[in-house]
Amino acid sequence: MTTKFDLNDDSLVVIIGSGAGGGTLANELAQKGIRSVVLEAGKRFTLDDIENDEWKMFGKISWLDKRYVEGPARLAKDFPNLPAWIVKGVGGATMHWAGVAMRFQQHEFKMKSTNGVVPGANVLDWPITLQELEPYYLKAEKKMGVCGTEATGMPFHGKSSHYKVIAEGARRIGAKCEQATLAINTEIRDGRPACQVNGFCMQGCKIGAKWSTMYTEIPKAEATGNMELRPQSMVLRIEHDDKGRVTGVLYADRDGNQQLQKARVVAVAGNSIESPRMLLNSASSMFPDGLANSSGQVGQNYMTHVTGGVYAEFDKPVHMYKSTVVPGVVKQWQDNDPERGHYAGYELEILHLGLPFMSAFLNPGSSGWGRELAESLENYDKMAGFWICGEDMPVESNNISLHPTEKDQYGLPVPVVYKTDHINDTRMRNHAYDRSTELFESLGARKVNYLPPYPASHNMGTNRMSEKPRDGVVNKWGQSHDIKNLFVSDGSQFTTSGTENPTLTIVALAIRQADYIAEQMKRRQI
Amino acid sequence: MNKNNTAESIPNPSRRRFLARSGAAAVCAGALSAGLLSATAWAAKAVGEQASATLLRMARDIYPHDTLEDKYYSQVLTPLAKKAEQDAALQTLLKEGVAELDKRSHQRFGKPYLEVAVESDRVQILRAIEDGAFFQRLKGDLMMGIYNNPELWPRFGYGGSAWQHGGYINRGYDQIDWV
Repeated sequence: MTTKFDLNDDSLVVIIGSGAGGGTLANELAQKGIRSVVLEAGKRFTLDDIENDEWKMFGKISWLDKRYVEGPARLAKDFPNLPAWIVKGVGGATMHWAGVAMRFQQHEFKMKSTNGVVPGANVLDWPITLQELEPYYLKAEKKMGVCGTEATGMPFHGKSSHYKVIAEGARRIGAKCEQATLAINTEIRDGRPACQVNGFCMQGCKIGAKWSTMYTEIPKAEATGNMELRPQSMVLRIEHDDKGRVTGVLYADRDGNQQLQKARVVAVAGNSIESPRMLLNSASSMFPDGLANSSGQVGQNYMTHVTGGVYAEFDKPVHMYKSTVVPGVVKQWQDNDPERGHYAGYELEILHLGLPFMSAFLNPGSSGWGRELAESLENYDKMAGFWICGEDMPVESNNISLHPTEKDQYGLPVPVVYKTDHINDTRMRNHAYDRSTELFESLGARKVNYLPPYPASHNMGTNRMSEKPRDGVVNKWGQSHDIKNLFVSDGSQFTTSGTENPTLTIVALAIRQADYIAEQMKRRQI
Repeated sequence: MNKNNTAESIPNPSRRRFLARSGAAAVCAGALSAGLLSATAWAAKAVGEQASATLLRMARDIYPHDTLEDKYYSQVLTPLAKKAEQDAALQTLLKEGVAELDKRSHQRFGKPYLEVAVESDRVQILRAIEDGAFFQRLKGDLMMGIYNNPELWPRFGYGGSAWQHGGYINRGYDQIDWV
């Protein structure tokens, strides 16, 4: 059954993006009988397109449209055109994510109240609390099939060799290490198989054991007859009327023809670079700074998590690739304890890369070559390591802006991403490097390699939630402070980044937002 | 893999002699080894024997794995040279790149790159040009050709594609004997 809606049907919700936010919102609305069109810039892939091959899948599914990275951070030199490692395809970044599904901690919704003003940062409390979000976290965990939770009762994955090495190191230094709660089936569930440990979670799960909207929310929504997915549809502009309400979305279809889909409600969920970019590109005489931007915060406060990698080389084999990509998490430093010399917390996520990506990321950029690197790569099978994932300070000058002259293949100004560390980020990363080294040395590591941050898969904050309209772009429902029938449904609405991987929170917020949109539509408020 | 880099990092006369000889052998396409011969034969048409031997030496200096046979490096260089036969810009990049390398070698050590016997000396020259297009082109192709080469994955202890074997759930994902 393929539903087709008319371009002039102005009773529809138009959702831009089909990932964790957009895909979830579409299905939640569809199940309530609310009709939507999902505009997705990328292609529709099938499981047959997914390969256990790092570079092939990188080339196939990544968002590789022209972008610039600016700023003094090493990322700008190493990857001048690849700020983010995300997906252009139906399912969005849920194809690429490693499946790590953790709830935010209580204090992470209250960073300003917790720490007061942090100089140089634009910290704000979320307008919602953990308690308000808990019922939705539970729904999200059930929907996605998160193992190791009460919500599903599904057991954890077995302990891989990679996990066992790190867990032993953590034990020796007295640090808490736990198996990861992953939205990857350990039993047959929801019509999807159990994980068979291919070790290629981030290339798209070949067997569909990992939750992705590509083969869960999207086809479920389509099956109701209430949702039409339009892949290869790149949004050019969101239109509005003279009352300042959005009325439709102009996009380029797969043949490059411009189409205008009318809408009752528009929800933006194109990830934290494209979402603010769309709002900025939709500037008009009524909204000269872009839609929903009376605060000036659209595109600002871009956060990626404080990241980095730490890979140790041992005398004996680990075979880290024989594992779910993230088998466990060291949570010892996830709390907010300024005594450590930095605010907020971080997690050390046990994570493997294959040899092809290890060669690219161990020492990225032009100087990554030579005997030292080659020797480390010769120890690939004896490596174990982490990806550092810590709370990133919101800083206004870390932002997404439009290139003044250069246009992309759609004729849109190329996005420019400026990102550099706040001093707190640097201190946190150094703390993480030091503790990781201690952990690895307790196991007799021969060498510990520090990897600089690579292109960001966690992108947040560029349309942030705020209590007051002057501080942010959307309210606690992800609804624009300025335009009632315009919503933001992805990670760009995060007020602060938290320590945890963003997907579970994006899904919980989308489920909650669907309830609100349904209620507001019923009451004719939108 | 086994390593024997210490032999190169110490300026040992016999080691120098060996390298000088292998360079000379390459220049005259001598039969030092089948691997080296095939490795230099490839590029002669596009860039000449001297340049092709220089590129091979440079390739081995960029990602030095002493136990990897030359053929794995030449598998990267051959398609590059073939392409250069049709692609004038690429041919210029390679020819001028090698010429620049030799120029810097002469200035610094009084001999062409191929005859600079000590790896750390050659590395000094390469570090000075690492941001340039010539070096980056070679590095990029080599990174893909060496580390993204499924034929070499077993030598590095990497498993590659696993789904067709049923993953590792029944193939030792939890096996480790030292923790």
